[in-house]
Amino acid sequence: MANDIWALAELTDGRLAGISLQLASKAAELARDLGGQSAAVALGTNTQAAAGELGSCGVSAVYASEGAVYDQYLGQPQSEALAGLIQKHQPRLVLIGGTNYGRDIAGRLAARLGAGLVYHVGEVAVEGGQVVMSVPAFGGAQAVKEAFTGAGTGLLLARPNAFATQRVGGTPAITQEPAPAAPGTGARLTGTAGAEGAAEAGHLGKAPNGDDIWLPAATQSKLEEAQIVVSGGRGLGGPQGFAQIEALASALGASVGASRAAVDAGWIPYAHQVGQTGKTVKPTVYIACGISGAVQHKAGMGTAGLIIAVNKDKDAPIFSFCDLGVVADLNVVIPRLTELVKQRKAGA
Amino acid sequence: MKIVVCMKETLDTTKEKRFGPDMRLERPKENAIINPFDEYTIEEGLRQQEKHGGEVIVLCMGPATATDTIRRALAMGADRGVLVTDPALGGSDAVGTARVLAAALTRIGYDLAIFGSAAADAYGGVVPAAVAELLGAPLLSWAGKLDVDGGTARIQRQADIGTQTAEAPLPALVSVVKAINDPRYPSMKGIMQSKKKPVDTMTLADLGLAAGQAGADGAGERVLGATAVSMQRKGEMYLGNEGAAQRILDFLIEQKVL
Repeated sequence: MANDIWALAELTDGRLAGISLQLASKAAELARDLGGQSAAVALGTNTQAAAGELGSCGVSAVYASEGAVYDQYLGQPQSEALAGLIQKHQPRLVLIGGTNYGRDIAGRLAARLGAGLVYHVGEVAVEGGQVVMSVPAFGGAQAVKEAFTGAGTGLLLARPNAFATQRVGGTPAITQEPAPAAPGTGARLTGTAGAEGAAEAGHLGKAPNGDDIWLPAATQSKLEEAQIVVSGGRGLGGPQGFAQIEALASALGASVGASRAAVDAGWIPYAHQVGQTGKTVKPTVYIACGISGAVQHKAGMGTAGLIIAVNKDKDAPIFSFCDLGVVADLNVVIPRLTELVKQRKAGA
Repeated sequence: MKIVVCMKETLDTTKEKRFGPDMRLERPKENAIINPFDEYTIEEGLRQQEKHGGEVIVLCMGPATATDTIRRALAMGADRGVLVTDPALGGSDAVGTARVLAAALTRIGYDLAIFGSAAADAYGGVVPAAVAELLGAPLLSWAGKLDVDGGTARIQRQADIGTQTAEAPLPALVSVVKAINDPRYPSMKGIMQSKKKPVDTMTLADLGLAAGQAGADGAGERVLGATAVSMQRKGEMYLGNEGAAQRILDFLIEQKVL
């Protein structure tokens, strides 16, 4: 029991977030290395379907607490349910996503249990029977190794995409436990921003002629899971620059990312932000257009397979950590590249 | 309305940072700034005060020299500051910090306690939730918009999956994201006035906390060491517009992406 490793699934309105599978995969791997059992915890609605998905990533058990209360109240019922379950079964380690969902629960849980909490974790391994976590510092220039001090359950907040999803297959033992928790003292969800909010997520701003510029639905989602990401920064010069980025992304079958500078300027919504305070991506190829490459941006994309940078400033820091650096004018290179990619795909 | 804004002192993000021999971040005083995320926290406190009256109190846990940083928040318009400072607090982890802030909030009293989404030196983003748990209080997290109406706070919330709306009865905690406002610059008058505004200090003992409940001794984690990471990349450079797009295409083909 003392070597059991758990993963907290992220369920929202019955939908399982992709990071849940990354955490379940890593929990299964660590439990094997430690000689313990792996389990996932799913709190919310549609937990049965979620349990099947989690089991396919190798966890041997799933604790399912089916209840709408988790979709209706923020933080408190989740931490209440999880705290009770941890105190009863005493796992060695609980893996939680470093997302807004995960951080709200982990903070409450750590305070309630007095548990050790290591956040921003990029790697975790068993070394000499000890769980050792690696946390990137200074934009990834250093790796800090950390361990827990006490013997109690440790909490680990993982960076999104730090761990790979591994569909090793398996059918988990599902336990309907615990009973849904009480709502708490009342941070209550009253709705989504609805159609208005959904539309806003793809709205790039106004073109010079006053028309609204929209991202096509296909390039809006799954930035974290994309194999190719095309990102734009301050060098684009305005929201209309993202139309070029979107055209290239569309030709490549890529997702659109952005630097904080572009998001802060209001050229593209926050959902596209890559970096320390945005999303962490790990695509096969990352194409940075007009992005200088501050350490905060690097923290969100520094582990990409290949990095291609296009910037007219030859002294931009991004040229110090790319595989191909192109010092040129975006307005010439990006439309031309889009044409070439289209021709290549049409000919292939 | 009694509004407490929680602020951390962090380091100028443009300056080079390094660890000291104790594996803690070195914090030279001349590089100290208001945590950039907390400028939005302070601004939101001031805007709520403009609508609803009351006072804005800046709460900070940090070294004794952090009074200078608190004065910059007072120059923006906050009424007074409270600094929790104690030699035993160095090396506090998120839970230790939360114990200190929760105890201080209990002593100060609050209708609304506002936090930034994270600190620009650690990026944990867990302290607001930890404080809320210790206080048994609701936390309206990741707010991009905040409205207080009677005894209820309502927010638009940046969830991982999109925007949500949420509400909670006061007293409540709110964590805010940068989309919520544009922080003001201190005026010359504000800077002059800030010098006369009160900044009280509290110690661990004042808060009724023992040394092991915060500080390095109370931390649930320890650093084993740090190593430099080499991120070797090909580093090929191509100069000029002519042929640049073709070179990128060829590169993608060479790397078997296309």
